[in-house]
Amino acid sequence: MQKLSLAALAICLLLTGCAIGGANRTPGKKVSFMVFGDPAELAAYQQLVDAFRAVHPDIQVELRHVASQGDYQKQLVTAFSAGAEPDVMLLNYRRVLQFAANGGLEPVGSYLDNSQSLHAADLYPEALEAFQWDGKTWCIPQNVSSLVVYYNRSLFDAAGVAYPSAGWTWDDFLQTARTLTRDLDGDGQIDQYGAGVSPELMRLAPFIWQNGGELVDDPAQPTRLAFDSPAALAAFQWFVDLQVQEHVVPDATAEQAEDSETRFMNGRLGVYLNSRRTVPTFRTIEGLDWDVAPLPQGVQPAGILHSDAYCLSARAQDKGSAWTLIEFANTVAGQTLMATTGRTVPSLRQVAESPAFLDSQQRPASSRVFLDTIPLLRRVPLLQKWPTIEETASREIERAFYGQASVEEAAAAAVSLTLPYFQDK
Amino acid sequence: MRPSPAGVAYHLAGLAVAALFLLPFFWAIVASLRQPGLPPARTVEWWPHPAHWDNYAELFRVVPMGRYLLNSLIVVAVAVPLTLLTAALAGFALSQLGRVWRRRLVTTSVVLLLIPGMAVWTFRFHILEALGLIDSLAALIVPALAGGSPLFVLLFYWACWRVPFELYESARLDGAEAWTVWWRIAWPLVRPTTAAVAVLAFALYWGDFSTPVLYIFRPEIYTLPIGLQLLRQMDASNLPLLMAGSMLMIAPVVVLFLVIQRLFLRDLTLERVE
Amino acid sequence: MRLRRIAFPLSYRRQLALFLTPYLVGTLVLVVLPALATVAVSFTDYSAFTGYSTSHLPTWVGLDNFRRLTETPLVRLSLNNTLIFAGLAVPLRLAGALVLALLLGGRRPGTGLYRAAVYLPTIVPEAAYTLVWLWILNPVYGPLNLVLGALGLPQPDWMAEAATARLAIVLMALVQIGEGFVVVLAARQNVPAALYEAAEVDGANRWQSFWRITLPLIIPWLLLLLCRDLLVSVQNTFTPSFIMNYGGPYYATTFLPLLIYEISFDFADWGLASAVLVVVYAWILLLIWGVRNLVEGLRNRVEADEA
Repeated sequence: MQKLSLAALAICLLLTGCAIGGANRTPGKKVSFMVFGDPAELAAYQQLVDAFRAVHPDIQVELRHVASQGDYQKQLVTAFSAGAEPDVMLLNYRRVLQFAANGGLEPVGSYLDNSQSLHAADLYPEALEAFQWDGKTWCIPQNVSSLVVYYNRSLFDAAGVAYPSAGWTWDDFLQTARTLTRDLDGDGQIDQYGAGVSPELMRLAPFIWQNGGELVDDPAQPTRLAFDSPAALAAFQWFVDLQVQEHVVPDATAEQAEDSETRFMNGRLGVYLNSRRTVPTFRTIEGLDWDVAPLPQGVQPAGILHSDAYCLSARAQDKGSAWTLIEFANTVAGQTLMATTGRTVPSLRQVAESPAFLDSQQRPASSRVFLDTIPLLRRVPLLQKWPTIEETASREIERAFYGQASVEEAAAAAVSLTLPYFQDK
Repeated sequence: MRPSPAGVAYHLAGLAVAALFLLPFFWAIVASLRQPGLPPARTVEWWPHPAHWDNYAELFRVVPMGRYLLNSLIVVAVAVPLTLLTAALAGFALSQLGRVWRRRLVTTSVVLLLIPGMAVWTFRFHILEALGLIDSLAALIVPALAGGSPLFVLLFYWACWRVPFELYESARLDGAEAWTVWWRIAWPLVRPTTAAVAVLAFALYWGDFSTPVLYIFRPEIYTLPIGLQLLRQMDASNLPLLMAGSMLMIAPVVVLFLVIQRLFLRDLTLERVE
Repeated sequence: MRLRRIAFPLSYRRQLALFLTPYLVGTLVLVVLPALATVAVSFTDYSAFTGYSTSHLPTWVGLDNFRRLTETPLVRLSLNNTLIFAGLAVPLRLAGALVLALLLGGRRPGTGLYRAAVYLPTIVPEAAYTLVWLWILNPVYGPLNLVLGALGLPQPDWMAEAATARLAIVLMALVQIGEGFVVVLAARQNVPAALYEAAEVDGANRWQSFWRITLPLIIPWLLLLLCRDLLVSVQNTFTPSFIMNYGGPYYATTFLPLLIYEISFDFADWGLASAVLVVVYAWILLLIWGVRNLVEGLRNRVEADEA
């Protein structure tokens, strides 16, 4: 008898666990929506979902959130392999091919063509083309962001330096950074750095292009990285010298103690290079007087595209409802909402030109900078293993940036280590 | 009785060793009480002035840490008793077997210990998915049905083995069933092992990070380790908060351990009691 | 002395089988089958997207993954790192466990607390433990460097240099010496007190009684611990290397578990990941088997000498 009752107890416990955690089986239309971002970005997506539900109360949306892009990638791959992938997911154009080429995504081109409220012509082609491959449109871009320079106006004022403006050169950048790198309390340690930039491929690429170099040997059919060309090496050297020679950027120790983004938020960094992504977080810092400026120009102007898009899973149960969510997110209503949170540079022209994005009362006051640079934007190649190429190359860039290898060594290593990854279709 | 010099030296050494091993956690507690946002002190600080206890409350405001805590507690509350039950029964049964089968199964268990978690992650969830357990707390509890780990089964086996066989035999001769022999004889005598396995199992389920990351997708059923990871991604520069989160995760295990450790760290003789 | 085992009636044996069932069946389903699947997959081109659609069924590729494994520089690199780590951590942990067990082996009052303190870091959840160390090793504000500075010692930038980063992970592993400590404690307490008493009568000092009595009798346990520690060193570096610097700086702390994780989830190439796993485990099993044979050989020689 005791045995039976104990067995029964065990079964009850297990069932309780199942029940507590069991997936909801509520009837009705359901769409799972997976995004990444920090709390401010998440709040933005929550607002979007709430607005969507107000218009489409019959569709339930389950918002899944992962805080960092790196973890997002892993969770997504795991989810796909378990068959538990979300119906709608946010994907950067650099990562799309890995999922699209393997049959994980459903092209949305036909949905777009048949849509009443959303038309391809309304979107910036620079963004939409990033998601077109093999003759199909795979995702709808939510933004057409790019690398810009965030600068701390108070620090500029205090140092009597002119704000960065369109057409400023690499030399101007360096000069500004030098002036803003200061030891404020005279203890021999730099307290305020002039510039901060993450040593990775996405940050180095525009400088390579600006110097007339190329990232890959043939953008249409890339077979290798092209870091070792003289133009690319020169740009690489200039980039690395910011830390190694000029010390206007925090060194490894300083960066580890307090990373550049935090430093900028705490008012201890003059300029910070990043995409639109950080705007919602920066907006929450009171007392920080900041704005954005275009990238400095080298031999020729160039910028780099940062774009995330809503993608549809090939195995989504209810593709119609999933598309409805994607469509809503990209109509004027949806894009305006995301724009007001500051997270995006809207891919819908109408919204990008509207006060929702351009309002000068909202930081950054010079949001127009993002729009002016759109014609100059270039993309990284679309490859299945691009994230790996990028990560491998970024490690070499980081190595050189903190003085642990020469630029030639790092470039050669980047080229040779990434060769196998170009071979996969 | 005056303390001997050797005795004093011994205690000094013991205290030094203990301090060394406890220092990381002390430092973490100190760091967790600092005010976030201020640049940290540049000299060794033995206790922050003022101690910012609000960091612990902030933990629950930044992410739904209360929910994650509850989920972890649920998992542990179900999994630990279940593990104790299955492992104790299996270990007892092993100790009763004849030589041939006993050796086979014990050796198998030892070999099973060699299998790394990594080899099992990716395909275990195909199985769990076929069972419909993915994305539920049950996915985290399921190993408890199998005794939690071959180590626990082996620990119970060794403990039951040490019990003088006459005790089992006399109970059996009195007509007792296996169940009764276990409940009346083995179970009371293996208390130190039960205590040890309870602590180890608690630590196992409480601290399990890789399984929830891979098997759980809905934020409502995230567990504490995921919460900690979320905290880290969302606010990596807020070290006091991270340390507070770490201490939240460490404290229950430590408390349980301190309460129970007397039972199993004292007597470590592994020979059969004559 | 054990009584002759009286034959169990069928019902008793059935019940024993019932007791064993959850463990055996559960382990079969949750551990053995996935492990076998992993081995099988190492011979295919299985990726995370396989089985996703009918155009992506796994195909047999024979030893192709193993060949690619030898050609991937990352594999050699992480193998190297793992060997360096094991080479440092295992002897240090063994020696540490031995020293501590000798120190705290007695039954004086208070010993229980000291032992508890040593064991404590072992049961702390790995993720939280690693985060604590992330703080401790902070180059500018972390307590370790502050203490080193106060003592006038150099304060390295731990996670920014290869050598110190690896040292940091070894240090973290050293503080978690508790398991080994408990094993050696148990081993030592199994040495009959009578032997020590006899040695004292013979006038042996502590060093001699350690060298002649304790050490030879606990060697089997030490070897067991060695095998287990080797295994643990290869397996358990995942969380630290993942959280501290994701295998950095520049691959210095990319150990095998992290590599397998990366291959599985960045490359989504499970065929290759499984191949790495299979190779690594084949090596470990060989090593353990080698150690066992060595021990048997030594023991036979010792017994032959004494005969």
